[in-house]
Amino acid sequence: MARWVAGALFVLAVGVGAAPAPAAPPAPAEAVREKLIPLERYSTPKGQALARAHQLRLYKFSEYLWGCLPWLDVQKHSIGFQRPKGDPGDDRYFSTWILIPQAENPQFAAWPQTRRMSAMFSRYGVDLLRRMAGVHDVLSDSNVHGFSLVLSWLKPGTWRPGVQPVNESLAVFVDKATGIDYLERRIPNGDFARRIRVVGFDGQTDLGPQALDIWDDDFAATFKIPNYEPPDGVTC
Amino acid sequence: MNCARIVRSALVLAVLVVIGGCASSEQWSDWRSHSTHFASDRHMGFSMRNNMEGTNPRVTRVDMDSAPRENWWGKVITVQPDQIFQN
Repeated sequence: MARWVAGALFVLAVGVGAAPAPAAPPAPAEAVREKLIPLERYSTPKGQALARAHQLRLYKFSEYLWGCLPWLDVQKHSIGFQRPKGDPGDDRYFSTWILIPQAENPQFAAWPQTRRMSAMFSRYGVDLLRRMAGVHDVLSDSNVHGFSLVLSWLKPGTWRPGVQPVNESLAVFVDKATGIDYLERRIPNGDFARRIRVVGFDGQTDLGPQALDIWDDDFAATFKIPNYEPPDGVTC
Repeated sequence: MNCARIVRSALVLAVLVVIGGCASSEQWSDWRSHSTHFASDRHMGFSMRNNMEGTNPRVTRVDMDSAPRENWWGKVITVQPDQIFQN
């Protein structure tokens, strides 16, 4: 009897430390699905058809963003096929909206707002565009006109108790040919910046068209969290 | 005789395990300043998987999910989707 007790205690003491690590849990389906624009939100047959045709691929893309870019958040109901407000036709843009956790930083705060927008797009927007261009079956669909990216981050000085937090945002529309040419380095940063459509927002205040200064920044493409394990079934 | 030695060894082992798990005064102070030891079941899961020296840290997406985002001071004013898009 005592031998069994001793054996059990020993196995418990040693076994807890030596047990093999289980795989990281898979991405929770609800967290992934809520990022997609619901089918019923599309008001035109073209939008509905695109969303229906690429439903599974969009889900996989949402799962990929959730698992591979854990330092970012994706806006709820933002991945899908949007059309710009005020456009007369029904050109559909493959869309994603990311929320960037920018901490208070004196250097970042000191920059003019347009400079902050340029920095955010250079760092996170270009990388997101590249990842979106990797969704080949969506990109090769002739009904997809281009890419739409929205980036939001906390406006400096509004991340304090007693102050109303406000996001600065940038909405960017890129036609497909321009996006691909830029990613394949056939057009330089300056030409790309002139060809894209950019609108800035301070909270909910429309700042109108913005001219970005885009530069090379590989932070988002190379940054890794030490010892981070992607969810089971997601390849980064 | 043999049986008594095994029981004694088991007791020594149990005491070692208990001592190894004891908290320092600083850790007790930290613990007292919070109403619960674990902030959530995820926190507990993370703590159970990772030792305190950080020699075997494992970070999963679920550990990170929403941790800093839930601590914002109030609702953030952000552009509305219908200011950018039409459905």
